[in-house]
Amino acid sequence: MIITKNLQKTFGEHHVLRGIDQHIKKGEKVVVIGPSGSGKSTFLRCLNLLEEPTGGEVIFEGTTITDPACDINELRQQMGMVFQQFNLFPHKTVLENITLAPVKVKKMAADEADALARKLLERVGLPDKADVYPGQLSGGQQQRIAIARALAMNPKVMLFDEPTSALDPEMVGEVLELMKELANEGMTMVVVTHEMGFAREVATRVLFIDEGVVKEENTPEEFFSNPKNDRLKDFLSKVL
Amino acid sequence: MEWLNTLYTSFYNALIPEKRYLAYISGVKITLMVALFAVFLGVLIGILVAVVKVSAKSSKNPVIKPLAAFCNFYTTVIRGTPLIVQIMIIYNLIFTARDSNEIIIGTVCFGINSGAYVSEIIRAGIESVARGQTEAGRSLGFTHIQTMRYIILPQAIKNILPALGNEFIVLVKETSVISVIAVNDLTKMASFIGSRTWDILPPYIIAAVIYLLITMCLTAVLGHFERRMSQGDHH
Repeated sequence: MIITKNLQKTFGEHHVLRGIDQHIKKGEKVVVIGPSGSGKSTFLRCLNLLEEPTGGEVIFEGTTITDPACDINELRQQMGMVFQQFNLFPHKTVLENITLAPVKVKKMAADEADALARKLLERVGLPDKADVYPGQLSGGQQQRIAIARALAMNPKVMLFDEPTSALDPEMVGEVLELMKELANEGMTMVVVTHEMGFAREVATRVLFIDEGVVKEENTPEEFFSNPKNDRLKDFLSKVL
Repeated sequence: MEWLNTLYTSFYNALIPEKRYLAYISGVKITLMVALFAVFLGVLIGILVAVVKVSAKSSKNPVIKPLAAFCNFYTTVIRGTPLIVQIMIIYNLIFTARDSNEIIIGTVCFGINSGAYVSEIIRAGIESVARGQTEAGRSLGFTHIQTMRYIILPQAIKNILPALGNEFIVLVKETSVISVIAVNDLTKMASFIGSRTWDILPPYIIAAVIYLLITMCLTAVLGHFERRMSQGDHH
């Protein structure tokens, strides 16, 4: 589904990604962990070109999206993204947050988008919040709305950029629970997170990114019980 | 009480004989018309220039960069030269046709002038909206322009409006400069009447009071809008 070839990213002098080769297959749940500043978020953001790679290729469903000729707006519709800071639109109600892109980008009829949004709100467990503004909601609720907003575009893959890092501890659970349900329904997911429990439980594959390269990747069982890379051993000993 | 009588007479002469009050009214009409259309033009130019400048930072579109360079040139020249000089240049150099309409020329001049200031106001407003909003929009498949239109500008407007209102008020006052190209605005009318009555001060004082009333009304209206907008704020 998504292939990266020798993915590179530099910010000025700073070499953040130093060549990442990955193949994310349909239905996989790839969890990316690593110390802060390791490039894991940058890797994720390169997948839908929110961050422009400075070298290498990203291929999505056979299309080279790093090619300047490719219509990235079209492809981004198929890649949902959830952010650490939720990034809901504060000037729109919850319902409008969800319907905006289907109506304006996909040209869906307003009543159809409305019905879809209400169904999604039901699914994320917030059916009564349709008409409130994001600012009136808790962080956990906002993040669930953000997930609903991304799902409204019916994406083929969901990218999560530290979705629980900005949440109060008591709200982490509700968001992870929703992500688990999503995973169980077969959604292809790439998740950057510090939630090791989630990685262990949901991931089909775990990547350890450090210093801009994938230092280790494995099934969660092997990854956590039998890490090989020294840097990973050190990292796990600190976070587990 | 002699002086009071004199004062009364001079103001009476500046207002009543030959229905002079009508001259002020027609002057006010032109002043307001010029200001209104100039504001529209200024906001239009301002939005375009601001969007180009902001877009140039991230876009790789080959047209945007030269466009942004032109916009920078425009704001630099307009903000760096006196308004009255700009009007004289545009009036004498560009619109040289004999039957050209001074009111339109003046309006265009003010619009072009105001656009430069408005663009900076709007640019600051756009940049005050968190970067994550753009990213959220783009990640959903919105184009750059759509993101601006549906997500960024509606939020930026709250930060833009107070400064923009100020710019409107400045513009209403600055339109008085238009009298140099023989447009019969309020200032010009005051000077006409002064030359008729041989008493220059009262008409100008009357004009000043009218300008003050207009700007005070505008301030009140804008204050009302700002309050309305902050009521919709849920943070």
